[in-house]
Amino acid sequence: MSDELRVDSGALIFATLADVYISSGMIDEAISILKDGLARNPDYYLAKIILGRAYFLKDEVDKAIETIESVYDEVKESEIANLYLGHCYRKLGDNEKARKYYETTLKINSENMEALKELEGLIPDFTPTQKVAKAEPSVVEEPPVEKPVDETIPLVEVDKDEVEEPEAVEPEVMVEEPHAVDLEPVVEEPKVEEPELQELTVATPVSEEEPFGVERAPDVTPTAIEGAKPQVVSIESIVEELPEKKVEIEAVPLEALDKPVSRLLDLETVKGVFISTKDGLLIKNYGGGRERDVEAICASVAAICMDVDESFRLLKRGGLERCIIEKADETLCVMAVGDSLLTVITKVEAKPGLIFVYARKIIEEIEEILG
Amino acid sequence: MKIGEFTKIQKVLGAGLVSEDGFIIEGQATFEYDTDKLGAIAARVVNRIKNSLEITKASAIIYTKDNVLFLRDSADGIVFVICQKDANVGLVKIRLDKFA
Repeated sequence: MSDELRVDSGALIFATLADVYISSGMIDEAISILKDGLARNPDYYLAKIILGRAYFLKDEVDKAIETIESVYDEVKESEIANLYLGHCYRKLGDNEKARKYYETTLKINSENMEALKELEGLIPDFTPTQKVAKAEPSVVEEPPVEKPVDETIPLVEVDKDEVEEPEAVEPEVMVEEPHAVDLEPVVEEPKVEEPELQELTVATPVSEEEPFGVERAPDVTPTAIEGAKPQVVSIESIVEELPEKKVEIEAVPLEALDKPVSRLLDLETVKGVFISTKDGLLIKNYGGGRERDVEAICASVAAICMDVDESFRLLKRGGLERCIIEKADETLCVMAVGDSLLTVITKVEAKPGLIFVYARKIIEEIEEILG
Repeated sequence: MKIGEFTKIQKVLGAGLVSEDGFIIEGQATFEYDTDKLGAIAARVVNRIKNSLEITKASAIIYTKDNVLFLRDSADGIVFVICQKDANVGLVKIRLDKFA
């Protein structure tokens, strides 16, 4: 039993190390360590997926496919396996298969940005349709038009038959149904002020190009269309209203952050404070140095936090709450605040405990302001 | 000071010394924690910090939901210590400063 455990832990460690090598760009080393490890643990599927990924990154796409597909039956629920098979087939130009794997990836994790992005590339209408489906489930019931299968380019219900359709049939879909889908938000949007609806309007230019959609409208919601008979006008009105909504969004008073943050800045040992998103984009900088330097630190801190999060997920021990990174000339105290990171740059002699005490006091305020 | 000294501190769950590429040199941990995994994580995070911030010696204290992980570059390799969140973090840090 203990031997088995040792084997398992050994297996895990070589895969983890390989992952470290890959993230450091040492693909050959990763492949070598994976091959070696797999020779000892041939049934370690995770390692095979990582090996496939390494081959893909090395541009050995055929090997990548062969490696992942050899264990696909066992790992078909793996997000990464499906994602990389998608990447491989995309690279080979087999868009049908690529699409199939990306869609499977999204079935497993509907928020996989990489798969979403690739699908957007493969299916131009993908994002709008998906957002419509998400934002307005009622949209699906709205058209009594006959083709229920074509309604959305589905995340969930994709058959091989459908996979073949989009390129040839999509233009038809544009003519018949998406108008119905587009027109509904056209009517509702100005009234209901939801941020998501802005994104719905992105699809409206399509109907702008094809004004015959106006005639289709009565099929969908007769009363609404009669009320807004000249469709072009309603589109224009939306175009006019969009900036207004933007103004509302921009009106979020980031200045409100100044007050709580200034309490931290009042500390003698604090050199600067900045708030960034967890993916490394600067939200606001308070005296942390030149903007460009701060942006670089933002990205670095985010990368470190992502690594820590990922690593601790492996240990099943929860993600990062805060961390202290000591450099020769300064110390970075980083705290997770909802979806953002609050980073305090301090002098070396600063007392991190004190920083955290102050920071904890203002974190709630920041969270409230940033939503 | 030896690595084993860290685990004598109350609520310290494990400690170890690991090479830059993640191979464990020396390590001790309670049954729940695998020094190999911790070592790999320590190497990964330290390398990330060094590469991202372009520094030669990395030192970090990472707080997660239940644990605190100390990472420190030393002459012999990367030292890591993991303890419970309610451990005497200050004491561990002092010992780590002495060790490194």
